Amino acid sequence: MSFILQLLIFPGFLFIICLAFFSEWVLRKFVARIQSRMGPTYTGSGGILQPFADFIKLLGKEDIVPAFAERTYFTLTPLLCLTLPLTALFILPMAGNRALISFEGDLIFLAFIFTTLTIMVFLGGFLSGSVFSMVGGVRAATQLLGYEIPFLLALFGPAIPASSLSISKISTWQAQNNAWGLWTQPIGFGVLVICLLAELELLPFDIPEAETEIVAGWNVEFTGRRLALVRLGRDVELVLASTILADIYLGGPQQVWIIPPIIIFLAKMFACLLLLGYLKTLFARFRIDQVLSGMWKYVIPAAMIQFIILKLIW
Amino acid sequence: MSGSTIKVIIGPQHPALKEPERFILETEGEYVVDVKVRIGYIHRGIEKAMENRTYLQGLYLSERVCGICSDAHTTCYVQGVEELLGVEPPPRSRFIRVVVAELERIHSHLLWLGIAAHEIGFDTLFMYVWRDREVVMDLLEIVSGNRVHYATNTIGGVRRDLNDEKIHKILKGLKTLEDRVKEYLRMIQKEQTVLKRTVNVGILSKSDAIKYGAVGPTIRASGVKRDVRADDPYAAYDEIPFNVVVEDGCDCLARIMVRGREVLESIHIIREALKKMPGGEIRVRVKPRIPPAEALSRVEAPRGELLYYIRSNGTDKPERCKIRTPTLANIPSLCKMLVGGYIADVPIVLAGIDPCFACMDRVLVIDREKKEAKVWTLDMLRRYGREWYRKR
Amino acid sequence: MSKEEEILEKIKGKFGNNIKDITIKRSRRIFAETDMKYLKEILRYAKDELGFDHISTITGEDLGEELELIYHIAYQNAIELSIKTKIPKENPRIATIVDLYPPAGIYEREVHDLLGVVFEGNPDLSPLLLPDNWPKGVYPLRKDVSLEEIKEIIEKGGEKG
Repeated sequence: MSFILQLLIFPGFLFIICLAFFSEWVLRKFVARIQSRMGPTYTGSGGILQPFADFIKLLGKEDIVPAFAERTYFTLTPLLCLTLPLTALFILPMAGNRALISFEGDLIFLAFIFTTLTIMVFLGGFLSGSVFSMVGGVRAATQLLGYEIPFLLALFGPAIPASSLSISKISTWQAQNNAWGLWTQPIGFGVLVICLLAELELLPFDIPEAETEIVAGWNVEFTGRRLALVRLGRDVELVLASTILADIYLGGPQQVWIIPPIIIFLAKMFACLLLLGYLKTLFARFRIDQVLSGMWKYVIPAAMIQFIILKLIW
Repeated sequence: MSGSTIKVIIGPQHPALKEPERFILETEGEYVVDVKVRIGYIHRGIEKAMENRTYLQGLYLSERVCGICSDAHTTCYVQGVEELLGVEPPPRSRFIRVVVAELERIHSHLLWLGIAAHEIGFDTLFMYVWRDREVVMDLLEIVSGNRVHYATNTIGGVRRDLNDEKIHKILKGLKTLEDRVKEYLRMIQKEQTVLKRTVNVGILSKSDAIKYGAVGPTIRASGVKRDVRADDPYAAYDEIPFNVVVEDGCDCLARIMVRGREVLESIHIIREALKKMPGGEIRVRVKPRIPPAEALSRVEAPRGELLYYIRSNGTDKPERCKIRTPTLANIPSLCKMLVGGYIADVPIVLAGIDPCFACMDRVLVIDREKKEAKVWTLDMLRRYGREWYRKR
Repeated sequence: MSKEEEILEKIKGKFGNNIKDITIKRSRRIFAETDMKYLKEILRYAKDELGFDHISTITGEDLGEELELIYHIAYQNAIELSIKTKIPKENPRIATIVDLYPPAGIYEREVHDLLGVVFEGNPDLSPLLLPDNWPKGVYPLRKDVSLEEIKEIIEKGGEKG
């Protein structure tokens, strides 16, 4: 019974959704201040309710399915965009040493979810029945070709010192031995940050969503409820990305002094979130061919070198 | 036309375009092989309308040809009419015209810089530049009472004068702008992501630029030193020494640098004009009826050479008023630049000529535009595009 | 001798009576008139021998019985030479100058669209400004087309009632 409660409320479903809304606000406010703007200000104190308000508004809007779209996939994509990252978050430790669901090999499961997510994006764009969304979907898939390998390499890097393929065990090991991935494998950290930026389609890798070229890219045709789910899914992905960084490179939740692990975890998570947000504001957008050539020329070799170093040391 | 080309239609409604136009690109893979242009979506019939309005009413029409080069249009127009009348505007008014024209140039270039940054995804720069644009709009409001459409020019001079307080505020604002623009230019030249999107993109060689009749910053970015303010001086430009900004890059980066440096040059010109401003009246009275004559007036608008050809017929209405805007002159060069490049570069190359389609379409009457907006939904555009693919 | 006078003398010397009425209006403005058949020759001479490498625009005007075309070309972006020529309204045809000045293509397209002049040899005279459903034969910039008539066409959605 208590497991169900945990799954639904804390640190499960409800907690993650609230965290997702909050993270979106933090990111928007942070990016706005860097760009000399105000960001959300009026809804709730300091605009904190803005993401939630956007969600509610979208739920109430008209839901249109384009005539040329595949109806099943059109409905499936937003659902999967939301549920896949949520599921992924269940296997990441947030409030204690063990995640809600933890088993040996859940790191591989995480990698699987990421790949499925990108394939969903591709299908969603392809089957939305619009030239713009198709181009966006194709670009997302092309970007995947670039970052998939270094992403997996950087993801599995921390498994080597910890000798385990369970995320909970990895983060516990790092916390106990004070051997955060951040300083034992800094190249891996850098590579993972770059690949997460590409996966989340944040600048400078937001080519699948390039606003000035193809409107909103793969999700241009989604409206109303479906769009609400897509956007919420994107926020949850943001939380997921920050959580991964915090868990497998920064030692995850740990008890420091009398401060409960969840607070420490949140601090690390938001630090990673702000890092991603900061990088988003610094650059212009790369062209798709530049993304691929950059990935294959620099990022993949870096990831491989990191892996070799790890194997040699550990 | 080989069988493997695909027609990509950009417009009339497209996120890269601030105003509706239609570019039909023939593409092979990611390369553009041919470009066809179709404009006219904001054609308002101003030339015809001017034939039915008095010269003074025509002034208001010419101002509304375009929002961001409105002052260039009125300056060109009143100069033409003054030439028809054989009237010289007083010296002070000519200097005030220079000040307003250069402030407008700064405004236009800053607006463009933000949009160019936005086209390549550099939103942070976009936000910063548009924040600084507020400074110049405030200055224009101090001078004319309005942030766009300044209505300072009139036939025979200018309508508003500058006093010491205004001059002081202008100089202060200019100092802020100068520091910031210098910083942006320095940053742009070092920022790798910007350079990757603009260096060697949209090449227009020096000979092509002249051959295809490019004007304004577009031709100056290809190493050709042409500027109507220096070559065919008007207003008070022959009394104010300044440099014509030229770059040799021939690519999008060169166009960014030309406009950025022109902002700095404009700041210098305004300072000189304010220093040298003579006293005296700001307008002379003119007669409404103009005996038959013709005049060709040219001005360097922010986008390039703008010309008005006006012919009078003895009444208080012009016989013919022909307007040729710089954006139209840059279209042939644009087509040359796009061919051989990537589709992904189209937005930034298009932005490179600083297109002002309102200027370009300007002719013909009434609410056709409103009707268009109702009829052409994005849905219809998509179906239209799909039909193109099928018909081909 | 000023540059404008030099240019004027050269053109007069080369074309004699084929060029009627060439005057210097003011500094940097020369206006001339010629017959339709000599126009291209004069333009070619101006471009190749005198260095007028830029065409500013082509103005079209309805004079009642005839249509007048004015070709504005520029020397070093400073001196503008405006050459006028008249063509009959019932048969408004003239040779294109697109082979001399490539940008002329778009100006000729505009004049064709709004005044109905046919530029022989221009590869692309498709409508530039008027909508696709505009009735054929109605040229808005001609004097015999009134504002009311244009308004009617637009209100009827493109076909003349």
